[in-house]
Amino acid sequence: MIAERTKRAARPSLYEPVVARIRSVTKQTDSEMLFDIALPEGRPLGHQPGQFVQVLVPGVGECPISICTSPTRADSFGLCVRRVGDVTAHLHGLGAGDTVGIRGPLGRGFNLAEFIGRDVLIVAGGLGLAPVRSLIQYILDERANFGRFSLLYGARNPSELLFRADLVRWRERKDMNFHVTVDKPDDDWRGHSGVVTTLFRELPALDPSTRVVVVGPPVMFKFVVLEVLARRIPQKQLYCSLERRMKCGVGKCGHCQVNHVYVCMEGPVFTYGELKAIREAFE
Amino acid sequence: MLDRVVHRTDLSALIDELARTRRIVGPVKHEDRFFYEAVDRAGRLDLDFTYCVYSPKAQLLPPKETLLTFDRTTGNFTCHPLYDERPTVLAGVHPCDLHAIKLLDHVFGAEHADEQYLSRRRHMFLIGIDCPHPCTAGVFCRDMHAHVADSGFDLMCYPLERDQAGRTVRYGVQVGTTAGQEAILYGRVGTPPTPEAEQHLARYQAEKDRAFPKAIPVDSAGLPGLLAKSYDSLLWEATARRCYSCGSCNLVCPTCYCFDIHDDGALGGNGGERVREWDGCQLRGFAEVAGPHNFRPKPGSRLRHRVFRKGKWILERTGLPGCVGCARCDRACTARISLVDMYKQLAEEV
Repeated sequence: MIAERTKRAARPSLYEPVVARIRSVTKQTDSEMLFDIALPEGRPLGHQPGQFVQVLVPGVGECPISICTSPTRADSFGLCVRRVGDVTAHLHGLGAGDTVGIRGPLGRGFNLAEFIGRDVLIVAGGLGLAPVRSLIQYILDERANFGRFSLLYGARNPSELLFRADLVRWRERKDMNFHVTVDKPDDDWRGHSGVVTTLFRELPALDPSTRVVVVGPPVMFKFVVLEVLARRIPQKQLYCSLERRMKCGVGKCGHCQVNHVYVCMEGPVFTYGELKAIREAFE
Repeated sequence: MLDRVVHRTDLSALIDELARTRRIVGPVKHEDRFFYEAVDRAGRLDLDFTYCVYSPKAQLLPPKETLLTFDRTTGNFTCHPLYDERPTVLAGVHPCDLHAIKLLDHVFGAEHADEQYLSRRRHMFLIGIDCPHPCTAGVFCRDMHAHVADSGFDLMCYPLERDQAGRTVRYGVQVGTTAGQEAILYGRVGTPPTPEAEQHLARYQAEKDRAFPKAIPVDSAGLPGLLAKSYDSLLWEATARRCYSCGSCNLVCPTCYCFDIHDDGALGGNGGERVREWDGCQLRGFAEVAGPHNFRPKPGSRLRHRVFRKGKWILERTGLPGCVGCARCDRACTARISLVDMYKQLAEEV
């Protein structure tokens, strides 16, 4: 295909990734690995919590992955990758010192201005903890700038819990209200069991100005929204993050479009009020 | 307003003059159909063509192109973007397709500029050919306000006079850009427009206005309102029952620009290419993610998605119509699914 018709040029392309180096890989569960990745010369990624990057394994392809670390920890960034397809399977075969291509940060993350000075409640289910972890870390690193902070996290079973070291640290903190549950406990599980909505009983009364973030599988989303709306939190204060098939990441290729919305541009973070106008988001 | 009047041989000469430094692409007749093709001289073009089966989008966004190549070494790799900067004169673009190119320019040129599209576009000289009458039955370009174009070209040619065989012998030429102005100056072809030629053009335009009928009950400005009331119509599913999800409509559409990007590895595994290839929202796997999960598994929801893009969403997002009424999709559909028919049926429902 590369005939004389096309020429190599030193101009940047929208589709050209930065070559970034994997600093470490940590196994999270049987299907999830945590990658710590550094850009050349320790350059910060410059992201907002809730944004994503396109990760390229040359010769295999690209896939969109949420950034799971806060920009306040800037010399590298984390990606929690579940093995679901070709690209993620190849990523799981890489180790410290290997390189991947990174395009981003892409999309619209959480509007931090809306969160600062307010109480924040984050509800995460399963792999949904990865995209909100960037916001959790941000809040903890800038703790004085936020009001009361609660985090509810649910997984299907104990073996699927992510970021276990974080879970231990978060439980010890006095400046956050953290609860974790599993749907199906095993014999060793001493904690709470039941779906994530059962953790709402552990919460203090919510201030009406509380900003709420819900990220998890669609079925969880509905039931958590019911709990939140029942507590009279306005729907424009309720945020979630959508998963779609971003390819170009810049609002052109059409793959992630949901009705009139390009998830890679207007999302992946939306308020519940915005989502309601996007019928396909719930189909 | 005309800037020049040229004989048909003058127009050929002008294109050949431009082709001293450019390739020529334009309509070429094969049996009874026309296709955009690269040719070595203007004489091979048929500028009295009806319509080209495929739109000229392939000249700007090729069906398949290498965006970058990569070379892998142990634990590392480098990327090299590729650009197509061949100067090209694209001669013979009807107003509908000029409108479609305007949309592509907006999509690839506005936010997050796509240099690989733009480098091709910047090296392209566009010669429009106006249509005195609809190119074929079933078009609805008038309803989309795309049967005339007052910009989006370097030169626009109005076929003012025809011979016995129906071939245009004299064109009124309108200049659209500085590049077009220079081409006229340096080409030294034709004559300055006379008052008589201007009258001729006015007559031509009045006749053209009568020749293009309205084909659907609403126009491009009314379509978003019609569609807003039709999201839950059963027409999508009813029509899509006969859809093969083949994507022919996407393929021929001048405003369908969705694409996929994938890697082609070279043999030996140390190098390869990232390739952009046309994709279509009517194909089954278009909205599928790894897992797998398909966000638009039903043909009815895919058909609705296409029609809403064409009639509503693109217009609302860009201010430019997402459909130019060329009806290539209607002609290409193996199941005889027709936008014109659907719009008529939806208008009856509301």
